[in-house]
Amino acid sequence: MGERIRASFLGVGFVGIMSTLYLGLMWAPSVAIDAFESPAAQKIFYWHVPSAWASFIAFTVLFIGSGLWFFKRSPTGWRLHVAGAEAGLATGLMTVWSGTVWASAEWGTPWDWTDVRLNTFALLTLLALFLVLGRRSQPDGVETRDTFATFGLFGFVLVPFTYIATRFWVIRHPGPVVAAGNDGSLQSDMALVLFIGAISFTIFIIGHILTSMHITKLEQRVEMLQSEIDKGG
Amino acid sequence: MSDVLLAFESVEIRRGMGIVVSDFSFQVSSGEVVVLHGENGCGKSTIIETAARILPIEKGQISQHGELVIDSEGRRKLSTVPFGLTLQQNGLVGSDTIAEHLNNMMSICKTKINLAPILKQYSLDHRSNDLIAHLSGGQQRKVSVIAGLLPAMISKSPRLILLDEPDSGLDESAIQMLSQHITSLRLAGHAFLIATHDERILKCATRINNLSHDTEQKPPSGDVWQLPEVEAAKPNNWLMTGFSYNLKTKAGFANNGIAGFLTLGILLSMVEPFELNNLLGLKMGFVLLPAFVAGLCGDPVVNLLRENRALDWWQANTATPRAIIIPIITGFVLTTISSYIFLEELQLIVVVAGSLTTLICSLLIGFLQLSTNKLSRPQAVFIRLLTPILILPWSIVVNELIAYI
Repeated sequence: MGERIRASFLGVGFVGIMSTLYLGLMWAPSVAIDAFESPAAQKIFYWHVPSAWASFIAFTVLFIGSGLWFFKRSPTGWRLHVAGAEAGLATGLMTVWSGTVWASAEWGTPWDWTDVRLNTFALLTLLALFLVLGRRSQPDGVETRDTFATFGLFGFVLVPFTYIATRFWVIRHPGPVVAAGNDGSLQSDMALVLFIGAISFTIFIIGHILTSMHITKLEQRVEMLQSEIDKGG
Repeated sequence: MSDVLLAFESVEIRRGMGIVVSDFSFQVSSGEVVVLHGENGCGKSTIIETAARILPIEKGQISQHGELVIDSEGRRKLSTVPFGLTLQQNGLVGSDTIAEHLNNMMSICKTKINLAPILKQYSLDHRSNDLIAHLSGGQQRKVSVIAGLLPAMISKSPRLILLDEPDSGLDESAIQMLSQHITSLRLAGHAFLIATHDERILKCATRINNLSHDTEQKPPSGDVWQLPEVEAAKPNNWLMTGFSYNLKTKAGFANNGIAGFLTLGILLSMVEPFELNNLLGLKMGFVLLPAFVAGLCGDPVVNLLRENRALDWWQANTATPRAIIIPIITGFVLTTISSYIFLEELQLIVVVAGSLTTLICSLLIGFLQLSTNKLSRPQAVFIRLLTPILILPWSIVVNELIAYI
């Protein structure tokens, strides 16, 4: 039953993401030529923004899981931490990669080290990479979990910081176009494709997180069985 | 009535994924020698290291001399009364001489004595000015044991001494001497908590604890420890200790300075300074880059203290030595040289910015290194993945300083 639910989320989410890609490239209207340096590259927007949205979900899961482990010693919390870190890494890399491709076309440079939004988001992604790689280099234990949960808790402060940076430190990365009040606007067809993308990425990332939690649970069960064998049981 | 020097109250400790010690309560009072005796993995070293505040606890609290030193809420406080600690891995820095390490311990205790008679008893008097790295394993162990006993040897008031497998690596005569010292210091009112399997040390115990119950024992008699002539020692200062380590080992130059100079060399190999005349941003970036790279190499003292769990020993006893002065000097030198090369003049504000860049970056990286110190394999974790965030503030500083060209 659980496996079917996980597979459904992943499957539906994947189909939605591919549909978003197709709709964005083939159906959504192009932006006005004078609004962007590279109007064709703008279509990466339909992948870039939903993956950023999904990454914020993943980092929130990472934060909740880290808190549950750190304060309650909850095994479910630790599984959420692991799942959140892996999902955050995947979606963070998607966002950064799609963003650099778009930036190369639009700005003439793939990155801007002076932009607060870009750098705080990159740090979140690097934090996720640090947590994923670090966990694999250490034996599982309370010390390992406490250390990485601490990083997960403190790293979350970057999430609202990154979000606020689009409003108060607009340097190179553009400000928000969704929920931006009077400042941003999106044509209805573009908004529809973006909405489909956001829903699809959300469903996919939930499936990813559920699957990751299941894998971690299986890993812990294997470890427990191996410990019993070690004791001669 | 004897003072309680160490108290565990309903303590639960986890190591790895298991609970090693659960609902553990016991006390060590002055004049007692409590030996933790049990099979491997039962938690003896865990108890010792937790008493020294090296390991966290899940439940309960631990006090030394009536002061709370660690509890399950994460509160940790250094005891105001120095205590002795000998870890299984010694906690020594190879670049210290025997005298220097023992002087460090005495400065933590703010009291000093003539060490020669004690060193002679352990056949180390002729080696007092030798580097610890040049000693044999057994000699290093003797140094670690003496450092653990020193707070009791130089104090009139009762002191707590924590010894984890002190007999390990010691020869027969050293173990005999250690046994005599334990007995004589016990009779002087000091308290011991020792983890050991050695029968000779076991005989010194007033109580043997196997983590589930205590067994009282009649300890041997002996002579009471005669306090040698003591004088006041300058208190240990983490800033000066860090500076001293850095200066002695040239760790700052090896770890940070070389990286900075290499960066300068690479920049010069790519471009002639006059080619940057119209590129002010690039010019200022070139001026500050060597100092930035030097800072990114981290705190050289923290790196140094990683050997033999010296970092844990320092953190248990007093504040961790850090490198502050040498990074400032490194940044100053690198920025001065790069200013002369690329700006052809010296601007005080630019040199100050370079010095502070090296200091702040090395402190931040050092902080990250310290935060992963409790992991089983701290060197295997990719802590430097988090350092690119420093590029943003560095580039802001560079942009602000362009106005001064």
